[in-house]
Amino acid sequence: MAFLIIFVTFSLLSSKFASLHNLASILTVTSELGIMSIGIAFLMIAGEFDLSVSSVYAFTGFLFIILANRMNSVAAFFMALMVAAVIGYINGQITIKAKIPSFIATLGTMMFLRGILLGLTGGNSVLYQSDNIMPHILTEYITGHFRPSHIWFIVLIIIMSIILKRTPYGNWVFATGGSEKVARTMGVNTNRVKIINFMVCAVLAGLAGIIAITRFRLANAAFGTRMELEAIASAVIGGTLMTGGFGSILGAALGAIIMGMLRSGLVMAGAPSYWYEAFVGLILIIAATINLKLRNTG
Amino acid sequence: MKEEYLVEMKNINKNFGAVKALKGVDFIVKKREVVGLLGDNGAGKSTLIKILCGVLKADSGEIFFNNKELSISSPYQAREKGIETVHQELSLVNTMTIARNMFLGKEPIRKVGFFSFLDKETMNREARKVIGDVGIKVRSPDEYVSILSGGERQAIAIGRAMYFDAKLLILDEPLRALSVKEQKNVLDHVNQVRDQGISVIFISHNVYHAYSVTDRFVLLNKGEKQGEILKEDSTPEEIAEFVSSGEKLSKIV
Ligand SMILES: Nc1ncnc2c1ncn2[C@@H]1O[C@H](COP(=O)(O)OP(=O)(O)O)[C@@H](O)[C@H]1O
Ligand SMILES: [Mg+2]
Repeated sequence: MAFLIIFVTFSLLSSKFASLHNLASILTVTSELGIMSIGIAFLMIAGEFDLSVSSVYAFTGFLFIILANRMNSVAAFFMALMVAAVIGYINGQITIKAKIPSFIATLGTMMFLRGILLGLTGGNSVLYQSDNIMPHILTEYITGHFRPSHIWFIVLIIIMSIILKRTPYGNWVFATGGSEKVARTMGVNTNRVKIINFMVCAVLAGLAGIIAITRFRLANAAFGTRMELEAIASAVIGGTLMTGGFGSILGAALGAIIMGMLRSGLVMAGAPSYWYEAFVGLILIIAATINLKLRNTG
Repeated sequence: MKEEYLVEMKNINKNFGAVKALKGVDFIVKKREVVGLLGDNGAGKSTLIKILCGVLKADSGEIFFNNKELSISSPYQAREKGIETVHQELSLVNTMTIARNMFLGKEPIRKVGFFSFLDKETMNREARKVIGDVGIKVRSPDEYVSILSGGERQAIAIGRAMYFDAKLLILDEPLRALSVKEQKNVLDHVNQVRDQGISVIFISHNVYHAYSVTDRFVLLNKGEKQGEILKEDSTPEEIAEFVSSGEKLSKIV
């Protein structure tokens, strides 16, 4: 519902961007942010946060390039995603075992991973010099405007929505975020749910990173900085409650599209990019407030 | 003699930091019996049953279920063994629908190849049935629990516990926050459940609430068992008197 209000407002404001070319390029950026946002929403619904997604995005992308340059892109793809899964697992374990809020735990891993990346690369970019298999599968233009990543984005929206809404596991996710205590009382292994969702979130962030990197064919260490806030904003715009227990995958994806349109709109209007950042902050607060109001009265 | 026992808890101890919530409590539930667990607020009633249904772990003591040692480490395992509980705090997730709450942790599934999907049709149909059985008026099982009144939530939680084929039904303060009519509804359900041969633990701090359905009372006071009374031996006034006096009773059963 929060989505509808904002969507209508912004599509009115940004109707001038409605050319096919521009919409497709928005979709390209949106697919990468959106895949990350899906993971974030999946985790937020289970009642946890992950600020480290932006660093996982960059780290996995880097790892992919380095591995692909040595072997082949397919093996590199799977190995890099496995590392992302391990990072998600560690995020989950820290949150659960140390009993600290995931907000803090993942702020730690975000800075840690980014620091490692900067340290290892010395701030230099790395070029992709490997086969064309993964770039073809992920990002190379299919038609004049559209890329495979657009399709993967849509496929992931569908799969993750089905998991969330139509499987027992999805029911446990909602319950874990809605009331961890109740979920546990009713027999749900809430720690397991959280760890799995942390892993899914990290893998999707890593996938988004690899997609972006096959598009640019180069990575630098500042890659994806602050993207975690965009992803959280997307999820929240899409109706996901900050407090967990409620939200939707489709909403998060639509939220990411709004963020993409906003960024594109501001760039087209010639505004410096820090205005976009200011907007992200503002939107986050407004959307979260609207969500809370809607839930409390409805 | 022992064959009659469904639950046998022996010498149960539980501390919360410095608070000794349970001090060597013995507790028995026979088959087809409604046990009223009575005691003032803070007596340790909820703590005792939370140990039985896997929410808490006793510091020491033994538990037998159907004459076999009950070693459970989670509520999931307790539910698998046929122990269904309506907790004082009801165990409903407000941000979820009635149907989703009904089947939380025991979701019916529909297999498609390797994948298990929620059987939504069954969930909605059965939830609708339960809503009808417990006599509350909501439009649909897709309503969120957050819009229900205290009494309606109570009814849903009890309906859920009775829906799954339990061997033991535990009701922790089930009449709290209910209107007289709703109370009568719950008591009728307890009678139905007993007629099906299911044992019930009915927890209350008010003997009058429990009196009509209970076969035997167990009194708990400040973490210790104060005694047991068969219903036919006492009037509710006498039992209330014992509860408030806190005196130890000679064991009657
Ligand atoms: N999770 C807990 N942490 C600390 N103390 C608790 C906890 N649960 C219960 N207690 C304490 O244990 C005692 C017994 O509580 P409880 O079993 O809830 O009593 P009753 O259900 O008979 O009212 C009380 O003193 C209560 O404050
Ligand atoms: Mg209690």
